[in-house]
Amino acid sequence: MADDSSTSHRRDPIKSSVGNVAAQRRRQNAVTVGKERRESLVRAKRLCRVGATGDGDVPVEENDMITDEAGFLLDTQTSSAVEELKSAVAYQGKGAMQKRVNTLRQLRRLLSKSEFPPVEAALKAGAIPLLVQCLSFGSPDEQLLEAAWCLTNIAAGKPEETKALMPALPLLIAHLGEKSSLPVAEQCAWALGNVAGEGEELRNVLLSQGALPPLARMMLPNKGSTVRTAAWALSNLIKGPDPKAATELIKVDGVLDAILRHLRKVDEELATEVAWVVVYLSALSNFATGVLVKSDVLQLLVERLATSNSLQLLIPVLRSLGNLVAADSHTISTVLVPGHEITDGVIKVLVKCLKSDHRVLKKEASWVLSNIAAGSIEHKQLIYSSEAVPLLLRLLSTAPFDIRKEVAYVLGNLCVAPTAGEGKPNLIEEHLASLVQRGCLSGFIDLVRSADIEAARLGLQFTELVLRGVPNGDGPKLVEQEDGIDAMEIYQFHENEDLRNMANGLVDKYFGEDYGIDE
Amino acid sequence: MAMEITQFLLAAQSADAKVRTEAETNLRQFQEQNMPLFLLSLSVELSNDEKPVESRRLAGIVLKNSLDAKDAIRKEQLVQQWMAIDVSIKSQIKDFLLKTLGSSVPEARHTSAQVIAKIASIEIPRKQWPELIGSLLNNMTQQDKPASLKQATLETLGYVCEEISHQDLVQDEVNAVLTAVVQGMNLADHGPEVRLAATKALYNALEFAQTNFENEMERNYIMKVVCDTAMSTEVEIRQAAFECLVAIASAYYEVLEPYMQTLFQLTSNAVKGDEETVALQAIEFWSSICDEEIELQEFESPESGDSGPPHSCFIEKALSSLIPLLLETLLKQEEDQDQDDTIWNISMAGGTCLGLVARTVGDAIVPLVMPFVESNIVKPDWRCREAATYAFGSILEGPSVEKLSPLVQAGLEFLLNAMKDGNNHVKDTTAWTLSRIFELLHSPANDFSVISPENLKRVLGVLLESIKDAPNVAEKVCGAIYYLAQGYEDAGPSSSLLSPYLTEIISCLIATADRTDGGDSKLRSSAYETLNEVVRCSNIAETSSIIAQLLPVIMNKLGQTMEIQIVSSEDREKQGDLQASLCGVLQVIIQKLSSTDETKPIILQAADQIMLLFLKVFGCRSSTVHEEAMLAIGALAYATGSQFEKYMPEFFQYLEMGLQNFEEYQVCGITVGVVGDICRALDDKVLPYCDGIMGLLLKDLASSELHRSVKPPIFSCFGDIALAIGEHFEKYVPYVLPMMQGAAEICAKMETSDEEMVDYGNQLRRCIFEAYSGILQGFKTVKPEVMVPYAQHLLKFIELVSRDSQRDESVTKAAVAVMGDLADALGSNIKLMLKESAFYDEFLGECLQSDDEQLKETAGWTQGMIQRVMVL
Repeated sequence: MADDSSTSHRRDPIKSSVGNVAAQRRRQNAVTVGKERRESLVRAKRLCRVGATGDGDVPVEENDMITDEAGFLLDTQTSSAVEELKSAVAYQGKGAMQKRVNTLRQLRRLLSKSEFPPVEAALKAGAIPLLVQCLSFGSPDEQLLEAAWCLTNIAAGKPEETKALMPALPLLIAHLGEKSSLPVAEQCAWALGNVAGEGEELRNVLLSQGALPPLARMMLPNKGSTVRTAAWALSNLIKGPDPKAATELIKVDGVLDAILRHLRKVDEELATEVAWVVVYLSALSNFATGVLVKSDVLQLLVERLATSNSLQLLIPVLRSLGNLVAADSHTISTVLVPGHEITDGVIKVLVKCLKSDHRVLKKEASWVLSNIAAGSIEHKQLIYSSEAVPLLLRLLSTAPFDIRKEVAYVLGNLCVAPTAGEGKPNLIEEHLASLVQRGCLSGFIDLVRSADIEAARLGLQFTELVLRGVPNGDGPKLVEQEDGIDAMEIYQFHENEDLRNMANGLVDKYFGEDYGIDE
Repeated sequence: MAMEITQFLLAAQSADAKVRTEAETNLRQFQEQNMPLFLLSLSVELSNDEKPVESRRLAGIVLKNSLDAKDAIRKEQLVQQWMAIDVSIKSQIKDFLLKTLGSSVPEARHTSAQVIAKIASIEIPRKQWPELIGSLLNNMTQQDKPASLKQATLETLGYVCEEISHQDLVQDEVNAVLTAVVQGMNLADHGPEVRLAATKALYNALEFAQTNFENEMERNYIMKVVCDTAMSTEVEIRQAAFECLVAIASAYYEVLEPYMQTLFQLTSNAVKGDEETVALQAIEFWSSICDEEIELQEFESPESGDSGPPHSCFIEKALSSLIPLLLETLLKQEEDQDQDDTIWNISMAGGTCLGLVARTVGDAIVPLVMPFVESNIVKPDWRCREAATYAFGSILEGPSVEKLSPLVQAGLEFLLNAMKDGNNHVKDTTAWTLSRIFELLHSPANDFSVISPENLKRVLGVLLESIKDAPNVAEKVCGAIYYLAQGYEDAGPSSSLLSPYLTEIISCLIATADRTDGGDSKLRSSAYETLNEVVRCSNIAETSSIIAQLLPVIMNKLGQTMEIQIVSSEDREKQGDLQASLCGVLQVIIQKLSSTDETKPIILQAADQIMLLFLKVFGCRSSTVHEEAMLAIGALAYATGSQFEKYMPEFFQYLEMGLQNFEEYQVCGITVGVVGDICRALDDKVLPYCDGIMGLLLKDLASSELHRSVKPPIFSCFGDIALAIGEHFEKYVPYVLPMMQGAAEICAKMETSDEEMVDYGNQLRRCIFEAYSGILQGFKTVKPEVMVPYAQHLLKFIELVSRDSQRDESVTKAAVAVMGDLADALGSNIKLMLKESAFYDEFLGECLQSDDEQLKETAGWTQGMIQRVMVL
């Protein structure tokens, strides 16, 4: 708005002195330089995959800023770094060792520098044989560490790049041994973890070369970061699908003890990595599961669930618990016996997870509960009378689909008694009547409408229970009120024969010609 | 009931600081205790003709400032505050304001018009003041109303139109408003005061008249009235009418075709024979046409030939008549125009317009101008020689290098000789023309220059001789050296060409800076800025020892400034200016020498002494110095790295001062930047100072006083701090994150029609992302869970930004990067959130397709990070 003095149009004259503009430009330039430095610093932080050791000199900008041509530049620098390494390895004169370490460090920094580490350039220039040479026995720790670190970064690359590490694997495994210094062993474990994470083929190679026992032994001492790294590498190594490695691991002397010991520690990051090991052990190996359920592990898992708020930790812990419950009937029949303190503890932590904001926790907790609810009558009664039911009922109507499905399993299981053989399951009328009365039917009818076959089946099965089992023959009316007939009629000509028969059978049986005549 | 506040308003303007402060406190208390009553009392004061002009003036200003502010956030607060006031009080205030339009005191009428427009800007779009337009129009239609009321009413209408959009009213009202304004310009019905007010109102209402300009009949009518008014007998009214034409040229370029014949005649007559104020507007009309056509040409892309608005080629069509007209103006120099940068006259405006025409039509201008140059440049009358040179200098940007370089090559020797012309103006313009030649036709870095290595010596000889000429000439010579040196920046082997002359150039520039005949500091600052450019662009490998020698010289000079006797505030200002220039030179030297490993030790050795000097400069406490010393300290912190820690205890107080300097917001802004430099230099050693810094930064952000341009960098600065101190940032999270979320929400609501706001919004978005990136990266390895509760909001914000069509590339980069940081730092914590957000695939896809390598790279990294999370 023309603020008071209505200044008429006035533009800068074409003929002006340089002073003002120049000062302005210089100041802008100074500000821009600051911005560029921020950018290069953040980029460096993003891209560098810092090794496990606490090396203080994380390569940040200093003199070499990362610019637009960074990629190309980096490749060139990397090739020449490998060349230098080549001559350093060949050189035998005075200061040879220092020279090798320096060139290795330079290469390692280059490989840590960008989000796209110049792995390809390093491989092309022939880095692997040189690095293998640097790993030879009797080399100084510093050299071993830098070489293993380079390999770690290379292993973090694309699949075929990871495979290039093959010739280095025996030496990396060898340096895991007790004679190596901790930083070296840890760095080697890190590299091997990256390799194992790549896929089944490389896992098998590592297992056949004997990577598992030394890694397992690294879990035994009380050295936080070493254990963490080893646990992480192990969880990659035993991922399967072959359960052999998991079985082998649990058989290693002291491993079970170590797992229990570390799970007791306050360190949540450590517990997280160890819990992932338990996840894979319990998911893959029945033998391992058998060993685990007989230990204190269940108790420890429950305690961690009760006390931690770290999602990172809660996820593997909850999943381990679920695996142990689902995979081994022993868990339910003899450990989680209603009336035992631990059983109440389990229900309590599961309730806590159901209340959490995190979908993953809610889903996994429902899954665990559905397994427990599949147990004995006493188990069902225990859950039925716990705080879980109102939460489950709410989730059934409000949660995302995948959670609703798990919740439906729990609620469904609560309503049927354990059966010996085939045929229609026996009802627990009290549970069914009360749950239906508290409004769970519409949730199940919703599942009937779902495109997910499994969920639809679950919905239909529950509908059948209602039709058959709600006292006073109120079932059909209730189902009709919830638009259940419409929902079932979708299946009239459905391609899935099983569902079609089930739905049509129910409609015919309960809503046939005679239906409604009584009224 | 309104309160009597005249005494306070008068006392608040007292010369006695004590009285003033007390009155201001009283007013503030009243305002805080009862805002509605306070505003009502102000409006009563303003409307009362029996009150002193001074108290009414202040009442008006306070009232206006209670309704509008430059800062968007503050403005929004004021709007909310006004809307919260009881309707009956608001309507009383409005009545008083409308009544004031009829006051016998012109100033009260004027202020009231402004305040009404501010209220209108709030209420009319919300349909809360429907009767305003009617009552204003009523003032105009009644014959018996005094001219002063009509004049004030027209002014109000103009301001209101400027504040609101025509869509806020029904078209009938829009039409009625414009009819009232245009009729006010009618010669037969109104005296000159009303017609002047109407013409000015039309100027303000031009954008508002959009619909009417789309209608040919209405447009014809408006244009006819404006053109008629441009020939009024009163010079002020003619000027106002031409101002309208200038604004129409910018706003309605695409419909001007039918009127161009008439407009050319009108402007041509005005340029040739009207008063200077009118003639200047007539030239401005053509400059504005050039602006429009240059913009059209810049946006014209070969692929989308027909999508943009039409280019009418007005300049090209008028070229043969327009150029002689403009060349004529060049001969109307004033005797001493070169002594004063602020002068704006016909010849300046004409040359400036000529330069724009050259940029518009390119090569076509050359044959029309060169005959004028050639015939005038040898004439005995200095005006002819100066005009010829000016014409030549003006057309150097626009035509092709092929067209220009033979002419320049042929004329260069002539120009070098003309530096010995007997006339000061001619030398001034010649030196300026040389600087234009070096700026535009000397680019060794791109293998092109009108200066061959052979004649560089000759060129420098002339420049270093002429720099001793009169101050105005010397200043232009500095410009020539500036651009000459700039051409050699990053010029590979060519950058060595200047190295042999460097010592001599530097000593000449220092001698020039030391001259005392310059009158003001202009020559000195031009000399120092040129020195800076020479240092900055020099080939460091060859010149490092020279620059190393320059360092103590400049430090010494800076030291001497502390000894200047300060008697008056003028002395203080002089000292401050000089220190500013010298700190500027130090900043450039530090930056240059710390850029290579070989030369960095030079800075490190001198760092203690340099820092001592800067601290002394701060001790002198002049804000301009503050700013330059701050900048230089940023450079020093970068050079010294963690060594800078030892200076922090002494320096911290000045850092605090800088962060609190709301009035001189540039100082505050630069200080914020320096905080970033220091964080990068000190890393976690900055921790002991963080509480203090964070407190001030948060205050800065919350301040409505502080210029908004400083606020986005503050967010980036949070990122810098978090990156430096990592997990220790946790305690600031509860304060900082809500601010970031709030700012993100403001971004979402921001005006998208205002280009400046769009730019600001983009800057703000980028900086918020930078803050998140820094914080996420800072927490990544140690405490990522701290950020989990904020992830959803951030993700939503990224999504919103990804859907914004006006986001610029820097925002895109920052958004992609922060998404990667989020995945990198929080890992599986955000897996579900990511699963539920469908947008990122498409967004990443867009980025991966970009031509910008860096963006592609970042997007690739982010994709990797997200994939890692999804498979966990």
